[in-house]
Amino acid sequence: MSTQLKKKIIFDGVNFFYGQRQVLCDISTTFYSHTLTAITGPSGQGKSTMLALLNCMWDDIPHARCAGDIQILLGGQWISPLGKGISLAHLRRKVAMIFQEPNPLPMSINKNMAFPLKIAGVRDKHLIEQKVCAALEQAGLWAEVKDRLDESALNLSGGQKQRLCIARALILEPEILLCDEPTSSLDSQAARVIEELLVSLKKNCALLVVSHDLAQVRRIGDQIMTLAKGVLTGWCE
Amino acid sequence: MQKAVGGLFDVLAGIPSIVVGLYGFSVAIFRHHHFSDRLGPCLLISALSLGVLVLPYIVRSTQTALQELPLPMRNTATALGATRLQNITYVLIPNALAGIGSGVILAIGRCAEDTAVILLTGVVATAGVPSSLLAQYEALPFYIYYISSQYANPAELSNGYGACLVLLAICSILFIVAHGMQKRLYHWALYRR
Repeated sequence: MSTQLKKKIIFDGVNFFYGQRQVLCDISTTFYSHTLTAITGPSGQGKSTMLALLNCMWDDIPHARCAGDIQILLGGQWISPLGKGISLAHLRRKVAMIFQEPNPLPMSINKNMAFPLKIAGVRDKHLIEQKVCAALEQAGLWAEVKDRLDESALNLSGGQKQRLCIARALILEPEILLCDEPTSSLDSQAARVIEELLVSLKKNCALLVVSHDLAQVRRIGDQIMTLAKGVLTGWCE
Repeated sequence: MQKAVGGLFDVLAGIPSIVVGLYGFSVAIFRHHHFSDRLGPCLLISALSLGVLVLPYIVRSTQTALQELPLPMRNTATALGATRLQNITYVLIPNALAGIGSGVILAIGRCAEDTAVILLTGVVATAGVPSSLLAQYEALPFYIYYISSQYANPAELSNGYGACLVLLAICSILFIVAHGMQKRLYHWALYRR
């Protein structure tokens, strides 16, 4: 795989601590573009922390610290999310994150979708409409919501909410999509729809998906990584 | 720093309104001595003093409303690339409007009924409508206080009761308007296309 695909993310001797507790121990690995990497392992072993390191969502946690180096290839340039002086806003727009619980903002479907563009400074209403439509189509949600864009996003079903969150993340065309147990709160039918969606997104970006469901991991993962007690214990392609 | 400021507002919330009135009165005397003989207790000083009186209510209710927002909501905008200011402006404040609005309504009510502060900072029983911010003025709470303590006949006392009803009606209308605005503002902020 490494001969065919470009390297996208490199972890080099990464250690992570919450206060005195070490959560990640000397992680060194590489993730590739256009690949879905499934990260699995028992709870509390550092899987979500590993994702949070990539878009600096651990930044505000008191007493958290990280040692080692992470390099991400964004826009043709290698940058380090651990380095000082990087724009967190830019990093998070290009390294998007989907959470375990679908988290649409309590506003209309249309405003939810337009929100990332608004904060990125896009003001052209025509362009926003086009992008909203394209992202919802990419997430397979357009047909279901096109007539109710002004309704509250909170009225959608669980699976629809999660697809809305994925569409919202896709609207800024991220290069990496981090998914922290994206189907754990959904029924099996809705979970299958999300799985298919994630697999289809490989052509646009690199995906890192945390999951406890081993059957799911085998179904969708091009690479499978196992973490236990903060140590990389398994890796298969 | 956050704890120190919070503690300061708690102390401010505990200060009796007559003390805030005395503070306003001191400011008026200072202006009178150092700037112009014409400057004394006036509408502006009363407004500033009432502002100091209700500031802790507004600060605390805003703080509580923001703290009660769920963690996923706080993280959502951040994960989408919002700066701290954008998160506060576009997500947190619109979603905390109900709580912030309640604090503002409480503050309006407190200002409308307070007598001790205005007693020392510019209200006069027969001043009527003020001609400017630097003029003295007449206010319903003070009129009620004055007429109920100085009435000469039952008719004047009845006027005082009438004034009470007017004050209650004004406060009720203010609350209803504020509540309506709060709902509309919430909908405008979160659902307007």
